[in-house]
Amino acid sequence: MITFSRSQLVGMEFLDEETVRFHGTQEDHIYAMEVAMDVRIADGRILAIQGWMKRYTTPVCPRAVDRLQDAVGISLRDPSWMPLVMREIGRKGCEHFAEIICECGRCLDQARMSRDLAAALKADPSADLAGLAKQWTASHPERPGATLTVTAV
Amino acid sequence: MTVVFMRNKVVEVKPRADGGLDVHWRLSDDLIDLEIEMTFEVPDLEIVAAGARVRRSVFAGGIDAGEAIHRVEGVRVGPGLRKIVRGLLGGDQGSIELTEGVLECCNAVILHFTLPGIQLGEQYRDAPEAERLALSKAMIEANPRLLRSCIAFADDSPIVQALNLAREEAGR
Repeated sequence: MITFSRSQLVGMEFLDEETVRFHGTQEDHIYAMEVAMDVRIADGRILAIQGWMKRYTTPVCPRAVDRLQDAVGISLRDPSWMPLVMREIGRKGCEHFAEIICECGRCLDQARMSRDLAAALKADPSADLAGLAKQWTASHPERPGATLTVTAV
Repeated sequence: MTVVFMRNKVVEVKPRADGGLDVHWRLSDDLIDLEIEMTFEVPDLEIVAAGARVRRSVFAGGIDAGEAIHRVEGVRVGPGLRKIVRGLLGGDQGSIELTEGVLECCNAVILHFTLPGIQLGEQYRDAPEAERLALSKAMIEANPRLLRSCIAFADDSPIVQALNLAREEAGR
């Protein structure tokens, strides 16, 4: 039997050409929290953030909602943005809010890529998806790390 | 407004008959579908087996997750874990998804052990303050790393202040 389970859900809307809105939810056997944040695409800067604490363990936990405002101004392009979020939002506020922000932030480039690939496929449904993905990755060096390939089974 | 990108992640912990723990983790978004299976030995919390499979990917080439993940076998959940896993699977040539997936499996194992204590504490929800404080004190004594780990255990938290006050009174 499963003794602990956690689910995370991230959805992203492009409000306009310059701003993306993240909706991040995390729910597990202990905690349930949600974050909405707007990020400027050009520099990855967090412009606005809101949080909801739905299930938590101490009466003090909801105070962490106010600490979320310390995330405004952090850039998801800063090489140390994740440790910064874990320190400023996690240790000084709530680790689980920080986890949601990190998960949302890791989706920034994936969402940009998805949008561009979807547009290319709409224009040409027969386009080579793998080729488009490779081209996008090569032309966007700001996307960190390498890609994963389908494992042969 | 419709969403342009969605990511779903789930991690589950399942105890084994031999006392170990199996953890299953899966990420599915518009671009990839990746799953990780790990087995942890208890009480050492050593990763004794790890497997990964990319079920779907828009990328034609890249890291073979199933091969790369074996690097974390032998790693233990404990101090320095993030640095160790990021060193083994991250970096410019590594994969963020795989790295964070392994760390989230490890975190789920910790939370599996945390849950019973939280459930026990629920019995004290309506108990007198002294009993609730005693429980918080026991939690901090059992796990001193909780102190200053979040707003609830910060120096200016009512929980920590009440504990300090209780200690002072006991010392008089």
